[in-house]
Amino acid sequence: MKIRDISRMAWDQVKRRKVVTGLCMTGISIGCAAIIVALSIGQSAQAYVTEEVNRNFKMDEIMVMPGGGIPSPAGGGQAGQQENENLNPGKLTDEKLEIIRGFKHVVAASPFQEAGYLQMVTMDNKIGDTQVVVTDLSKLTHFDKTFSMGGGSGVQGTAVLNYGATLGLMDVSVRQNLFDQMNADPFNQELMNQYTSMQTTPTDLYRKQIQFQMQDYSVPNGPLKQSSALQVTGILEIPEGYSAERASYEKVIYISPETAAQLSKEMAFENGSALNLPEEGSYGSVTVKVDDVDHIKWVEQMIQKLQLSASDNLYQQDMLKEQFDMIKMAALGVGVFILVIASISIIVAMTMSTHQRRRQIGIMKVLGANMRQIRNMFITEAALLGLLGGLLGVGFSYLIIMGMNKLVGTAGNGLTFFVPLMTLPVGLAFAIMTGVLSGIYPAISASRTDALTAIKRD
Amino acid sequence: MLRVENISHSFKTGNEWTKVLHSINFTVNQGEMVALLGSSGSGKSTLLNLMAGLMKPLEGHIYIADQDIVKLGENKLAEFRRKHIGFIFQAYELITSLTVCENVELPLVFQSVSPRIRRQKALQLLEQVGLQGKEDMFPSQLSGGQQQRVSIARSLITEPSVIFADEPTGNLDSKTEEEILAILLHLNKTLKTTFIVVTHEHEVADRMQRIFSLRDGYLINGDFREESPVSEEAAP
Repeated sequence: MKIRDISRMAWDQVKRRKVVTGLCMTGISIGCAAIIVALSIGQSAQAYVTEEVNRNFKMDEIMVMPGGGIPSPAGGGQAGQQENENLNPGKLTDEKLEIIRGFKHVVAASPFQEAGYLQMVTMDNKIGDTQVVVTDLSKLTHFDKTFSMGGGSGVQGTAVLNYGATLGLMDVSVRQNLFDQMNADPFNQELMNQYTSMQTTPTDLYRKQIQFQMQDYSVPNGPLKQSSALQVTGILEIPEGYSAERASYEKVIYISPETAAQLSKEMAFENGSALNLPEEGSYGSVTVKVDDVDHIKWVEQMIQKLQLSASDNLYQQDMLKEQFDMIKMAALGVGVFILVIASISIIVAMTMSTHQRRRQIGIMKVLGANMRQIRNMFITEAALLGLLGGLLGVGFSYLIIMGMNKLVGTAGNGLTFFVPLMTLPVGLAFAIMTGVLSGIYPAISASRTDALTAIKRD
Repeated sequence: MLRVENISHSFKTGNEWTKVLHSINFTVNQGEMVALLGSSGSGKSTLLNLMAGLMKPLEGHIYIADQDIVKLGENKLAEFRRKHIGFIFQAYELITSLTVCENVELPLVFQSVSPRIRRQKALQLLEQVGLQGKEDMFPSQLSGGQQQRVSIARSLITEPSVIFADEPTGNLDSKTEEEILAILLHLNKTLKTTFIVVTHEHEVADRMQRIFSLRDGYLINGDFREESPVSEEAAP
C-alpha cells in the first residue's frame, strides 16, 4: 500500500470525524504549546541573562596580563631593569601589543591600567573620589563605550569621564557638613535621602577642567598634593540598563599613558607615586576585543604564545548554559507530562473511532487488506492528528508568548519573551510522536478486528 | 479450479458443539457459475466464509488455484484474497466516505497499484456494469441496484480466480434483481470468471450452470455425496 494512499485515507478520516479530530487536536495542541512555551521562556530568559552577563562581564573581551619569566612590579619591571629584559620574557610590551593588534579576529587591543583611586576636584571646588584608568582614549569606542558628549583626545592633559564620575560631586564644605550631621544622627532618613539624592546628581563637566589631589598619609602631616589641570574632552553615556544610582558606584576617569606619566610625577610622594603605573613602554594589563565569542579561545592561544597570560569570562557563559539547560530540561519535562496526559484523549478517541469503524475495517480485510496495512492506516491517522495538533500548538504558543509579553510589558526591564525557531520542530516532533505512540494501541486493536465478525449483520 | 474436500465445521454454543457442515465435497471448474442453494440455517453462508478464507474449517481442505487455503496464516490469507478472491455482499458493503470510483479501486490500493492504472481499470469496469458518469458520486447517492453494481465492479477489479456472491440480489426488488443477474451472467460469459452465488431463491439458482444444494449442513446434490442428512453428531 503506497504512503500516498495511506496518507490520503488518513486525511479523509481526519476530515470526516470532526469530533474525534477536534478532541485529539485540542489535547495535543495544549501539550505541544506547553513544550514550546516552556522552552521559549527558558531560551528568552537565557538570552536576557546572557545579554546582561555579556554587558557586565564582556564575553568578547580577553584580559591580557604579563606572564611567565621573573615577575616584576606592575607587570613591567622597574626602571633600570631594561638590561635584564630577557629575564622577563612574559613582559607585556608595546611590541607585543602591536602583535596582538595584528592577530586575526582582533577588533581592538588597548591597555586598561588601573592606576589607583584619587580625589577629583572641579574648578568650583566640588570633590569626588574616582578610579583612574590609563588607556588609549581614542580607542574607547572600540570597547563598547559610547560618548554622550565629546570624545577621546590624543592631546596630553586631557581626560574622559564615565557617567558615574559626573555624579555626586559636592562642595568640600557641604560634604563635610553633611557627613558631620550624618555622624551625629545616623538614623535620620531625611539626611540619608538628601545624601542619596546628591550622590546621583550630575555635574556638567564637559570641556571643564579638573584636578586630582591626594594627601601623603605615609608621613605625619603629609602634604596635600594637587595635579595640574586636565581638560575633560568627553563624557561617556550611562551604560545600558544602568540606573543613576548604580552608575554612581562606578566613577572612572580615563587618561592617556602620557598624561598618566605626567600626573605620576606631579603626585609623587616620598614613598612613591599616588599613581601605580608600569614602566614606560610596558603594561600591567591589556584588554583585547575579539570579533566573535567563538574566536576567543583561538586568540587566547595566540596571545599565550607570546608568553602572556590571557583570561576571559566564558566560564560565566558556560555556567549559565549549564544552569539554563537544567531549567529547560525541567520545562521540557513539564511539557512532556502534559503531552502524556493529552495522549490519553487520543487513545480514547481513536479507540472509540476504531470501534465505530469495525465494519469498515472488516470490509477492507475481506477485500485483502492485511494486518500491517490496517495498522499503518491507523498509525498514520494518529500521526496526522499529532501533526495537526502540533501546528495548532505552535499557533497557541505564539499567542501565549504575545500575551506574556503584554503582561510583562515594561516591567520586564528589557526581558522580552520570544519563540525560538528551533523550539518549533521540537514541539512538532513531540506532538507527532505522541500521536504515533497513542495510535499504536488503537491501531493494533483495529488490525486484530475479525473480518467476519465485523461484516456480520444481525 | 475450486475444490472442497471433506469440509466439516462446528460452532460452540455454551459447552456444546453444533456441527453445521458435514463432510462437504465438490469441485467448481474455471469459468463456471454455480449456485449454493439452501434455506436459512442450512450452512451455506458458513461454507462461503470457509471457501473465502474468512474462517478455518475444523476438518478438510479447500483448494483454490491449487492452493490449500486452510493451511495459510492470516496475512498470507489476506494476500491470497487480494489476488484470487472477489466478494459481492448482500448489503453491498461499500465505504460511504469514498466515491464510487474509489470504492471500486479499493482492492487495488491494497496491492499498491498506481492511481492512474487503478482509475483506468475502475472506469472500465463501471462502464461494463452500466455506471459510467457516476464515478465521482458517493454510495449514498445511488439506488440499491446501482450500489450492487459498484460492488460487482469492485469484486472484478483484481481479476480474481473466483467471485463469491452472498445473496447478491437479496436486498433488491425483482426488476433490479433481474438486472443484476443479467450483469453477473454476462460477466461470467465474457470474462470467464468463476462465480459461486449463495442464495436461498430457486429462481436465482436456476439461472446458474450448476446447483449445490445444502440442507442442515449436508450437501444433497454435490459432486460427491458421501453422507446422508441423518442425525446430528457431536463435533470435537
